[in-house]
Amino acid sequence: MASKDVLLKVDNLTTTFQTDEDSITVLDDVTFDLHHGESLGIVGESGCGKSVTALSIMRLLPKPAGQVVKGTVTYNDENLLSLSREKMYTIRGKKIAMIFQEPMTALNPVHRIGKQLGEIYQIHFPEMSEAESHAAQIDILEKVGIPSPEKRLREYPHQLSGGMRQRVMIAMALSCKPDILIADEPTTALDVTTQNQILNLMRELQQEINMSIIFITHDLGVIAEMCDRVIVMYAGRIVEQAPVKDLFSTPHHPYTKGLLESIPRLETPPKSRLEIIEGLVPNLKNIPEGCRFRSRCDFEVEDCSKTDPKGEPIGDESHRTVACIRWQELSS
Amino acid sequence: MTAYFIRRFLLIIPTFLGITILVFTVTRMVPGGPIERMLTEAQLASGDQVSFQSNNQGIAGSTLSESQLNQLKEYYGFDKPILESYGIWLKNILLLDLGYSTRYGEPVWESIKQRLPISIYYGVMTMLLTYMVCIPLGILKAIKHKTHIDNISSILVFIGYAIPGYVMGIIVITIFAFYLEWFPLSGFTSNNFDELSFIGKVKDILWHSVLPLIAYMSGAFAVMTFLMKNSLMDNLAADYVRTAMAKGMEFKTAVVKHAFRNSIIPIATNFGENITLFLAGSFLIEKIFNIDGFGLLGYESLVERDYPVVMGILVIGSLLSLIGNILSDICVALVDPRVRFGA
Repeated sequence: MASKDVLLKVDNLTTTFQTDEDSITVLDDVTFDLHHGESLGIVGESGCGKSVTALSIMRLLPKPAGQVVKGTVTYNDENLLSLSREKMYTIRGKKIAMIFQEPMTALNPVHRIGKQLGEIYQIHFPEMSEAESHAAQIDILEKVGIPSPEKRLREYPHQLSGGMRQRVMIAMALSCKPDILIADEPTTALDVTTQNQILNLMRELQQEINMSIIFITHDLGVIAEMCDRVIVMYAGRIVEQAPVKDLFSTPHHPYTKGLLESIPRLETPPKSRLEIIEGLVPNLKNIPEGCRFRSRCDFEVEDCSKTDPKGEPIGDESHRTVACIRWQELSS
Repeated sequence: MTAYFIRRFLLIIPTFLGITILVFTVTRMVPGGPIERMLTEAQLASGDQVSFQSNNQGIAGSTLSESQLNQLKEYYGFDKPILESYGIWLKNILLLDLGYSTRYGEPVWESIKQRLPISIYYGVMTMLLTYMVCIPLGILKAIKHKTHIDNISSILVFIGYAIPGYVMGIIVITIFAFYLEWFPLSGFTSNNFDELSFIGKVKDILWHSVLPLIAYMSGAFAVMTFLMKNSLMDNLAADYVRTAMAKGMEFKTAVVKHAFRNSIIPIATNFGENITLFLAGSFLIEKIFNIDGFGLLGYESLVERDYPVVMGILVIGSLLSLIGNILSDICVALVDPRVRFGA
């Protein structure tokens, strides 16, 4: 893999959360690269560490409970995790922006849209005049498809619909033309039509300003539509990484296969039973030894409890990794 | 928003009427009114002999003649049908004529008016100082959650909360006024108050009010401080604070510009309530420090069954609480735009 093409490099990222009794490892040895102009999807069940990955990169983990204990996040030859706080302020929002799942609560209810949008220009372009900032705000709102932006700037978040608010969030995130956009379940709280509009909008804007997107979702449909490459996470680990087409055509990890089988399809006969993955995600407080998925896996053998599978690259397909000791025999 | 407040103000009228009806009914129904009290007083004044006689003859006889009794009844409106006397009373109230105290014979409005400045002074001071201490302390505690500063201030605040105000009053009087003699024992002003210069007067009042204020406020910190702390902590964890941080905003700025404004919404809700609280005062503290305030007046007139005063205080008190409620609403609307448009 051409390393000069790599924009963001995450190595061995391990994050723990401190509870009253003990500390829980919610992210274990996560390693991946993000390339220029690429859309990288991160998919997995609730609590598998998708959002924590994003927050760890942004250094926005809830303090003091959440802590990155190991690993590096390299951006522009610098480790974001060891940057000074002041330096980090200049990266957040300007170089790496983030949008969140819940547009209802992600905007401050007591401030007007114009104020919240204007803050970004104040922070990152303090030399900008009031009028310039106002013009830029209208410009960006138009770009994200908000009608009569002049009026919207004077309104409060509760006067906007969910889709509108998410557009405002996108406008905020893109106002500095960041290199990387981290979108944490940006469409989960929206209805399907709005979801589609937002996804289209993100794709258009991505091409326009040539940024990379880390797209966090539990919706494989969204992944198929939006992403170039996919990371599948399970219980704080990456279990499989692959280009999106390969993942859908030839999934290697039993968990990925299970996920794909559990999507309802048009061609299955009506009223037939939907395939599911039996069982629940293991409690992160006491993770079973060996493979974390084995208790729910149909292909568990004795060795699965002995070896802890690491993500191994697959042949010359350098973009693919899978963390399963039996993947070869299972795929053949 | 204007329409909303006009509606709120208009609602005062029926609410106030309801309150007057209740006050009137209650004072009418409770046994032992002013006439009975006067009878007993007259009996006591005229000695044993008469009292023995009156025992035989019941209330009607004794010291007061039939015509005197009727005069009294007429004076208090007991001779008229209840609705009519309510109407007269209500009309008088609206003209600020609250009747005459049966105890002192002076107009009720006069004795209330005399006490108002003292009660307002203590009330406003208590409220200002409470806000000035509790809001910054709450913010500090929220940001330094679970550190030494947080824990120690919690202990202090709870000790203050656990000690009743009058006990605190006795403690501070004993230490600072009796043994150390730093502050006066009681009163609102010194005896030579009238001779003092303006600055001297201000100093004199402040000097007299230090100990009572400590007694008033020692318990007041807990609720407000923790309200502020918890509400700010909720808001610090809110999504929009994370959004602000994700924009590149510094943590401190995010706290001030985003979390703080949202966390004073519950404090604003409390604002009007405090206005009534401070006017009611605490008669025990007023008694200890010999302050002639509202609380003491209310308590004494109740014990003496001085109904015109009791009714006057109830009416004015409830009017103030109505105004306090509206002030709360205005405060909330000022900090929370959702309220402004929602109504």
